[in-house]
Amino acid sequence: MSNKSNKWWYLLFTTPLLLIFITVVIIPFLIGIYYAFFEWDGIAANPKVFVGFENFVQLFGDTRFLASTWKTILFTLLAVISVNVVGLVFALLVTSKLRTANAARTMIFMPYLIGGLILGYIWQFIFLDVFTLFGKVTGFDNVFFNWLIDIDYALYALVFVFTWQMAGYIMIIYIAGIQGIPNDVIEASKIDGANGWQRLRKITFPLLMPAFTISLFLTLSSAFKIYDVNLSLTNGGPANSTEMFAMNIYNEIFGYSNYGFGQAKAIVFFFIVAAITLTQVYITKKREVEM
Amino acid sequence: MKFQKRTLGSLLIVALLMILAACSGNEEAGKESESKGGAGKSSNQKITIFQSKVEISDQLEALAKEYTKETGVEVEVWGTTGDDYFSQLQIRMNSNQGPSIFSLQNVTEAEKMKSYVYDMDSEGYVKNIAPGMELKVNDKVVGVPYGVEGFGLVYNKDLVKPEDVADYDSFVRTLEKFKAEGINGFGLSKEAYFLIGHISNYPFALQKNHYEYIDELTDGKVTMAETKEFQEFGKFMDAIKANTPSPLDVTYDKEVGDFAAGKSAMIHQGNWAYGMLSDFNVDFEVGMLPFPLMGNDKLAVGVGNNWAINGKKDEAEVKAANDFLNWMFTSEIGQRYIVEEFGFVPALTNIKSDKLDSLSQDVLNASNSGKTIPWALNYFPANIIPNDFAPKAEEFFLSKDMTGKEFIEKLDDAWKSAVK
Repeated sequence: MSNKSNKWWYLLFTTPLLLIFITVVIIPFLIGIYYAFFEWDGIAANPKVFVGFENFVQLFGDTRFLASTWKTILFTLLAVISVNVVGLVFALLVTSKLRTANAARTMIFMPYLIGGLILGYIWQFIFLDVFTLFGKVTGFDNVFFNWLIDIDYALYALVFVFTWQMAGYIMIIYIAGIQGIPNDVIEASKIDGANGWQRLRKITFPLLMPAFTISLFLTLSSAFKIYDVNLSLTNGGPANSTEMFAMNIYNEIFGYSNYGFGQAKAIVFFFIVAAITLTQVYITKKREVEM
Repeated sequence: MKFQKRTLGSLLIVALLMILAACSGNEEAGKESESKGGAGKSSNQKITIFQSKVEISDQLEALAKEYTKETGVEVEVWGTTGDDYFSQLQIRMNSNQGPSIFSLQNVTEAEKMKSYVYDMDSEGYVKNIAPGMELKVNDKVVGVPYGVEGFGLVYNKDLVKPEDVADYDSFVRTLEKFKAEGINGFGLSKEAYFLIGHISNYPFALQKNHYEYIDELTDGKVTMAETKEFQEFGKFMDAIKANTPSPLDVTYDKEVGDFAAGKSAMIHQGNWAYGMLSDFNVDFEVGMLPFPLMGNDKLAVGVGNNWAINGKKDEAEVKAANDFLNWMFTSEIGQRYIVEEFGFVPALTNIKSDKLDSLSQDVLNASNSGKTIPWALNYFPANIIPNDFAPKAEEFFLSKDMTGKEFIEKLDDAWKSAVK
């Protein structure tokens, strides 16, 4: 087949996708920007009042939003570190000469297949019943208590469950990266007398840079956007201490019916996430080494 | 090859056009039926019902089938998970796909939906609504209550006598007595309404005119902290925190389950909890007592939900919706469903009810003898309970040294942020 007819085939398969993407992502996004300049309660028949940039100015006076910004940043920082460390350790383990490597790989990946909502409810039960019981029986009740009703620990509980969910997925990416490292490089280093730690630092990590780029990007953006686990595990509580960005926006729009203000938050949220993830990709990309 | 290319291209264009046409066509059709109307035939009329009470959705579908059998009018019941009902309703209304009959919880919601609600004043069934129980916007009836509900202290008659909880002092004494015996004297649970929503109704409802009080509160003319009903409410909350386990560890299921197992003497619940109690086959008698704030001896009785009609639909559909409601409220089958299948305490005077469970009977008795205080929470700013009150209550139960007085001040802050 000639190149020209190939073009038609591409068109045939990409047009439906493009149409769907435009209708469910691009258009709502543009409409959202438009709404951000209005004061409106979200009911079509009720009046929309144009307020210009007032919604955006108002943002900086919203203490609950600022508190949730701080919580989200803290959560993202902790989550990105723990997910990547755990994921990388798992990847190194299951690519070593472990006997149970295949079984371990499957099991570690499993939590990712469970939806965030269900995962949250399962862990809610574990924290409420299993943790408290375990604490009572073993006497370690200063560690094993219901984390979800402690203002400080609830955030760690969220990090914990998020890591539980994401680490397996990130592990897969690292595994692919590790398997992409040519064996002869490793062998050459062995012959030169490098020990395990030196090999890891000087060969594995630099050659894993592309995997780091992807993994960091994925964890960063999904930690920022977290909603399902947040909703089912803590629902923002106790006392709003775990209300992340996405939940704050949802509550603003559907809880307080401030459609315009909520949209303004969402737009700001979008730019923050875009800026942070793009910066991260830029930085890690520069450190990638060519073979 | 050439032929293929051309067909492919034109196929693509046709597909594109069809998608575009489908989009715009739909919208047009929607608009037309919204504005013009009156053209539909009632014989093959179809109505849709969207409502928020999950407990009755199966029964309502059965009732809809009975109606279709009798009249040939198709009734479709839409499902919901309950929690986000109002946002769902809003989304459907906005996309011109709203239902013909929907439910509204209270005045605040009705006012938000005022462009949609149908004015029921001239409909016959409105005359049968129990006095003061209709849902009104601008003095026009826009909603018929599902039924009346009541909440208070659901108590175990083997453990508690009514005179044990007649006022603050006896209430605290009873709590302390149960604490010494190792029984939970009073149970709340962690869900927003069961934690703070219902119980915070009392100091509002005991005001001379709770509408006026709430308006003044919103305008900043009064504060809860300086109102004596709230000061005593703070003392009650202190006593509850000091003498009972933290409600944040307790779910609704556990609250009712512990009560059914005799581990709790009293819980703060409504007559809706009876459904679960009967599943447990409790072997003691249960009853409902007033919450004794300022010596209050009345149950909080009100309407949790109302049927409303979407007035933006075309005439024929509005008429069909009215016919359905009328049939439900007047026909034998409809009335039987309301009382027996839905398990409602009827709020319509033409419906008889003699098979009520003991909690509902207490509610009906209170309602008949006028020993009721209103559900002031129906007039609260929308969503204030889950959004603002519940976090403050969680804070109160979590921190050991926050007093009831400080808690009331926090509620004042919560109110301010909710109405800003």
